[in-house]
Amino acid sequence: MENELMRCDGFLRRDILRVGGLTALGLGLDDYLRHQRLSAAEPQMPVRAKSCILIWLDGGPSHLETFDPKPDAPAEVRGPLGTIATAIPGIRLNECLPKTAALLNRIAIIRSMTSPLGEHNFGTHYLLTGYKPTPVLEYPAYGAVVSHLHREPTVLPSNIAVPNFSVGGSRMTGGGYLPAATRPFSVGGDPTKPNFSVRDLDFYQGLDLTRLDRRRQFVAALDAFDHSGTASAAGLSDPDLERAYRLIASEDAKRAFKLSEEPSKVRQQYGAKSIGQCCLLARRLVERGVPFVTVNDRGWDTHENLQTRLKDGYAGAKVGVGLVPSLDLALSALVRDLEDRAMLDETLVVVMGEFGRTPKLNTRGGRDHWPRVFSVVMAGGGVAAGQVIGSSDAVGESPLDKPVTPADLAATIYTLLGIDPKREFQTRDGRPVRVAPYEANVLSELIA
Amino acid sequence: MPIWWIFFAVVIPVGSDSRIDFDHDVIPVLTKAGCNTGACHGAAIGRGGFKLSLYGGDPAADYRAIALELKGRRVNLIDPDQSLLLMKPTEATEHGGGYRLDPDSSAVARVTDWIRHGAHRGDRAAKRRFVRLEVSPQSAVIRGSGGHLTLKAVAHFSDGLSRDVTGETVFKAEDPAALEVDSETAKTRVLRGGRHIIIARYLSQVMPIEIIQPYSDRTSGVTRGGGQTQFVDRSVDTLLATLGIPASGAADDASFSRRVSLDLTGRLPEPGSVRSFLGDRDPERRVKLIDRLLASEAFNEYWTLQLAKLLRIHAQPGNLLGVEKYHAWLKQQISEKVGYDVVARSVLTAQGDTHQIGPANFFRTVSGPREQAEFTSELFMGSRLRCANCHNHPLDQWTQDDYHGLAAIFARVQQGQVVAVASGGQVIHPRTGENAVPRIPGEHFLEDSDDPREALADWLISSDNPYFARAMVNRLWKAMMGRGLVEPADDLRATNPATHPKLLKTLAEDFVGHQFDLRHTLRLIASSDAYSRSSRTVSGNEIDDRYYSHRMSQSLEPEVLADAISDVLEVSERYGDTALGTRAVTLVDPGIESQTLDVLGRCSRQDTCETPVLVQDNGGLSRKLHLFNGPLLNQRIASNRGRLSRLLESGATVEVVVDEFYLAALGRPVSDGEKRFWNERLKSFADPTEKREQLEDFVWGLLTCKEFVTNH
Repeated sequence: MENELMRCDGFLRRDILRVGGLTALGLGLDDYLRHQRLSAAEPQMPVRAKSCILIWLDGGPSHLETFDPKPDAPAEVRGPLGTIATAIPGIRLNECLPKTAALLNRIAIIRSMTSPLGEHNFGTHYLLTGYKPTPVLEYPAYGAVVSHLHREPTVLPSNIAVPNFSVGGSRMTGGGYLPAATRPFSVGGDPTKPNFSVRDLDFYQGLDLTRLDRRRQFVAALDAFDHSGTASAAGLSDPDLERAYRLIASEDAKRAFKLSEEPSKVRQQYGAKSIGQCCLLARRLVERGVPFVTVNDRGWDTHENLQTRLKDGYAGAKVGVGLVPSLDLALSALVRDLEDRAMLDETLVVVMGEFGRTPKLNTRGGRDHWPRVFSVVMAGGGVAAGQVIGSSDAVGESPLDKPVTPADLAATIYTLLGIDPKREFQTRDGRPVRVAPYEANVLSELIA
Repeated sequence: MPIWWIFFAVVIPVGSDSRIDFDHDVIPVLTKAGCNTGACHGAAIGRGGFKLSLYGGDPAADYRAIALELKGRRVNLIDPDQSLLLMKPTEATEHGGGYRLDPDSSAVARVTDWIRHGAHRGDRAAKRRFVRLEVSPQSAVIRGSGGHLTLKAVAHFSDGLSRDVTGETVFKAEDPAALEVDSETAKTRVLRGGRHIIIARYLSQVMPIEIIQPYSDRTSGVTRGGGQTQFVDRSVDTLLATLGIPASGAADDASFSRRVSLDLTGRLPEPGSVRSFLGDRDPERRVKLIDRLLASEAFNEYWTLQLAKLLRIHAQPGNLLGVEKYHAWLKQQISEKVGYDVVARSVLTAQGDTHQIGPANFFRTVSGPREQAEFTSELFMGSRLRCANCHNHPLDQWTQDDYHGLAAIFARVQQGQVVAVASGGQVIHPRTGENAVPRIPGEHFLEDSDDPREALADWLISSDNPYFARAMVNRLWKAMMGRGLVEPADDLRATNPATHPKLLKTLAEDFVGHQFDLRHTLRLIASSDAYSRSSRTVSGNEIDDRYYSHRMSQSLEPEVLADAISDVLEVSERYGDTALGTRAVTLVDPGIESQTLDVLGRCSRQDTCETPVLVQDNGGLSRKLHLFNGPLLNQRIASNRGRLSRLLESGATVEVVVDEFYLAALGRPVSDGEKRFWNERLKSFADPTEKREQLEDFVWGLLTCKEFVTNH
């Protein structure tokens, strides 16, 4: 299971030495890498991303009201909201994304995502794993794969969901066939509350670390005896219990969850809504070495009243506080904050949901499920930013060029994270399964 | 299926002549090439302006789309090769769906011929009806690696014609990593051991094919014993033998008593009963225990909970009264041993004030006739009709007529506090735009009647109904064995076959033959050898998760675990504002305030509570943090009442405390090895506080260890 490539910076030591030698021959690093990419059967990409923040827009965000508006289309396609220019000439975004628009040179948009699965559970499984769901196997979501391969021991869980992992109808554990310990840890609670804290990190009255330690040893002893009361070699301590103990024992690790340590100015920049505060929490976690954080923002299943749900937030709002303005604050603050802390290059940010929405408004002023074309946004961690990849047709109905499947996206994300998409895992019954599907193609133009 | 049919039927190849008809010769080509799948032109609004019915479910509409729309372009009668129908999939012209058909293939030749002969629908289409598909083999065992076989499909038509349609049948392996099927020749190669399923699709019909490659040459014996449970064990053992999976031995008495107690009553056996059971030398002691449990009040309480979860009984805001009536009624049905058929009929035909008439609340579980149709079909038929809302079900026999027809049966039901059948109320069939006609799914349309629910209920509970009994025995089996013969348990269909099809059928017949008596089927399963196997694996059956070679350990349900913790500690938990001492399994409202049940992961019953076996969740890190630092265990372990305090006050030694807690929590005496271990670790302390703390930590460990939190 060891993968030599799983170095955070993506270079093997001998590669660095070789690169060092090359410069003397007049070849720059870029040249060397380009050469590598063209010549090697298994390209060794420069891996910049040490960690990933996935902003999951649960329910299926409207591509037409976010990253792929159609200002010239008929009214029933165009929808109720306007558009604005961006940092990239000729590219327009929804009017509720001004801060993101100004940052578009640090962001890449894929506008030609396509999937056949228009049901929440199925679509979510496809987008989060790269595999279409099948009755024979549940595949692991990105965070579990990253967690499984993470080699730097941290007290904090390596796969964290804020505030939780209730995605796509909540049927997914996120771990798939990988060990249960790779499943995302849901921090719970409401990060928008001033007194937000993660439940059960502090001692119950009358308890201390000595007693918790003894308790965990007793469980390990009990688990080591099998059901007939005889000691068995197979008895292993419960990994979740061990992780829980280590986390409780580490004051330093627990500080990661203390949003109250952030200056109120920073908290405001991210926006008051859950998505903003969750993104801020994600940054704190990534800063402390957590390799994968899912920010789960719910409510994007907008079958009715786009104006209120996406822009206004409530009827008669003067300043929009709906889903899209909240996303705008959160995403732009996150990208800027990561940049200010010199973390953007090593943090991959991905924004997506399970599908897009129907090109034509329905009778309730909403849009229904539409997987045939939708958009995904990426930034940081080795992404060739400032570009739009692919496009949809004039009404946002089908991909016009460069269709990208969720499988392709998976291969690309894994590559950016330094994980070979062709790498194989074994399921419990010994079946080899690739990290990304066999037919997946890496979107090389997305990689800087 | 009568074998003689094949010998007498004339099997002819497809000719290159005017006998090509659209419905039976052209549509299969489109299906095979994937043109009419949901991802392509079979989507609800078509693709690229060209819409086909999903998998050719509506030939008339497909004919219109191909031959009549865009006249002269999709089919070019003068120059067939210039037809878009051919140029697109062969990529003679640009095609969004890419290259689908080889221009030199027989399929293209046939479609070309069909166009050349006028692109008629064929008047025979009306006369000749596709009757059924026959695949061979339906089931095969292939030994040795690299083994292969060739599949064959024959279509039978109403005019007596039978034809080899292997080339036009789509064969799809459920697990492409296990089987490789050549789409041209239907030659199938097995890539790995196990039991694999291929779905064959021709026109409107889908059929499963089972291919088994044994894991090993080892065979364990097939039960030869007689008695009532023989058909259960014969079926389970035969498949194990075929697969070459050895079976584990029988569980010991202590494990069996804990297991059967939890399965039938949702309770741990009391220390007193464990002691007397372990001392009992009566060879019939297990059967007697089963009967005693089935006759207990705890059985009534626990199985009321099981059915309440199935019926998704939950309170609407402000309607706790109705739910209390509903729950009390259900409990009465279970206690009075009312047959499951009568229970089903009662809820399906109930009406009246939901605050008075318990079963009428069935119609307040979901709102709207379509939702009622989906809920009812999942509950009583184990079928997911919901796909058939927008198009015919791609993997099952259900059509939009079935879906909207079933919804129409409920269309007149008023789902307010008073449930009544109104004179009006319709659902619109989305394809016709007209009122859907009430219909028994898969069967027939209904005549006008005052209450079409009566006809539905009569049909469902009739002894020859193919769904009702199967759906229930599959769930009973799952409750006892840890996995349904069909998984997911609410997705019974031809293309999702049972691991043991004959066993499912026989169990269902036996259930019907015993007046749909839950206790009868539960007793039968509990008495089988398959049920009593040890959960300890033997070499060669470690990876088995569906053939019952060993007992599958299951996490305790949230309600059961909560009660078990209370019972071991002898300190009750309070749920909402119910009386202290109320057991979690008897709670009426699944939304009642309880952090304990939330942490343990209860089901809200807003939607189905049936979770796929794959997704067993032990709560992960969050639950473990809560066990360490939350009140769930800590508050009550520290209580000055309860078992620990009682024992300490009576001056019990550490040894006695350990022994008592083992019996209460694990249902077995402490072993010598464990006794030594705990004597060593829990040295007697002079300081009573320290002694108490040590023992509290021991109890905490016991309530957290795997052996306690699972039924094994």
